[in-house]
Amino acid sequence: MLSEKAWSPYLAGIVIGLLQIPAFLIIETALGASSSYVTVGALITSWVDPSILDIKYASSHVATTAKNWWQVALVGGVAIGALISMKMSGARRAGRSPIWSRALGSASPMKRYAVAFFGGFIMLFGARIADGCTSGHGLSGMAQLSVGSTVAVAAMFAGGIATAMLALRRI
Amino acid sequence: MSVFVAVLVGIAMGIVFGFALEKSRVFEPGMIVGQMQMKNFIMLKVFLTAVATGAVVLAALNGFGYVKLAPKAALYSADIVGGLILGAGITLAGACPGTTLAQIGAGYSDAFFTLIGGLAGAVAYAYAQPALSKTFLAQGGGKIIFSDLIGVPYWMAALVLAAVLAVVLMALEAWRPWRADLGADVDGDLPASGAPSVAARPQPAE
Repeated sequence: MLSEKAWSPYLAGIVIGLLQIPAFLIIETALGASSSYVTVGALITSWVDPSILDIKYASSHVATTAKNWWQVALVGGVAIGALISMKMSGARRAGRSPIWSRALGSASPMKRYAVAFFGGFIMLFGARIADGCTSGHGLSGMAQLSVGSTVAVAAMFAGGIATAMLALRRI
Repeated sequence: MSVFVAVLVGIAMGIVFGFALEKSRVFEPGMIVGQMQMKNFIMLKVFLTAVATGAVVLAALNGFGYVKLAPKAALYSADIVGGLILGAGITLAGACPGTTLAQIGAGYSDAFFTLIGGLAGAVAYAYAQPALSKTFLAQGGGKIIFSDLIGVPYWMAALVLAAVLAVVLMALEAWRPWRADLGADVDGDLPASGAPSVAARPQPAE
């Protein structure tokens, strides 16, 4: 089973949902991903501009606390887990997904890299405004029946669908 | 809890998380963009299954008193504005903040640009946060959950949510079997159904 290329989305979804058990019991927090970008980004920035740590939002994310660095380790572990899974199944990815040349109407790597950078930038800027992403608001917030998280997830899909319809071509 | 132990726990949990993201193929740009174009439903299936599982797990842990819930404060303006921008970013990146790392692990080179863009976006927000915190985006507050609004215990409403999601997922699966959404290279690349209409469609602005 570990060497299969694809699992049922239901099996994978159950595994991901079960991760709330160690998150709540051991770390006393919910699954999340986007605040780790502030931790790492603000730490790297502080080497060039130490004054960023005068901003309480930045310094509280960089602080050496269990929750901050647990989440950084979590997203780092995601890369390791995906690498192990890919090695075991042989579903190696290289370069860019074939959908991008259709979605962007161009096979240019530079165009894709520019769109990826811009997409990543607004993805995290938006996630930080909303105080959570697909994991924190989506997986964890909705499971906790949070009203604000449900609003955020609805907006996330609305923004995603509108952008996919207006800015990308059909894949 | 020492930071060192928390990091070890985080790496172990992340490996499981990344493994499941890779096996489900939900980290594929073809799945994420395909979902946003309503062409592929694997992302929604993984997402709703994980929400339902989390709801059952937390209903048990919270209902028996082992854990306290940790919902985020409801800041509706920020949730809507941030959610819309985040959603646009997910579509253009073909990833979310967590799956970006799964893409890197699986070998996609453009995911490094998503990651660097994401770090830059997070830093830009950190610089802007003191100013933004004085705007309408900071209005609201209160950790409001639906079960409190209805006046039932959390565990009861969470189990109802999980049951409703299970029915929705069964209907979704009957309508769109998941194997049909995988594509030949399990990357959600399903050109056959979309190819003719792409050529005929007027090109949208970019």
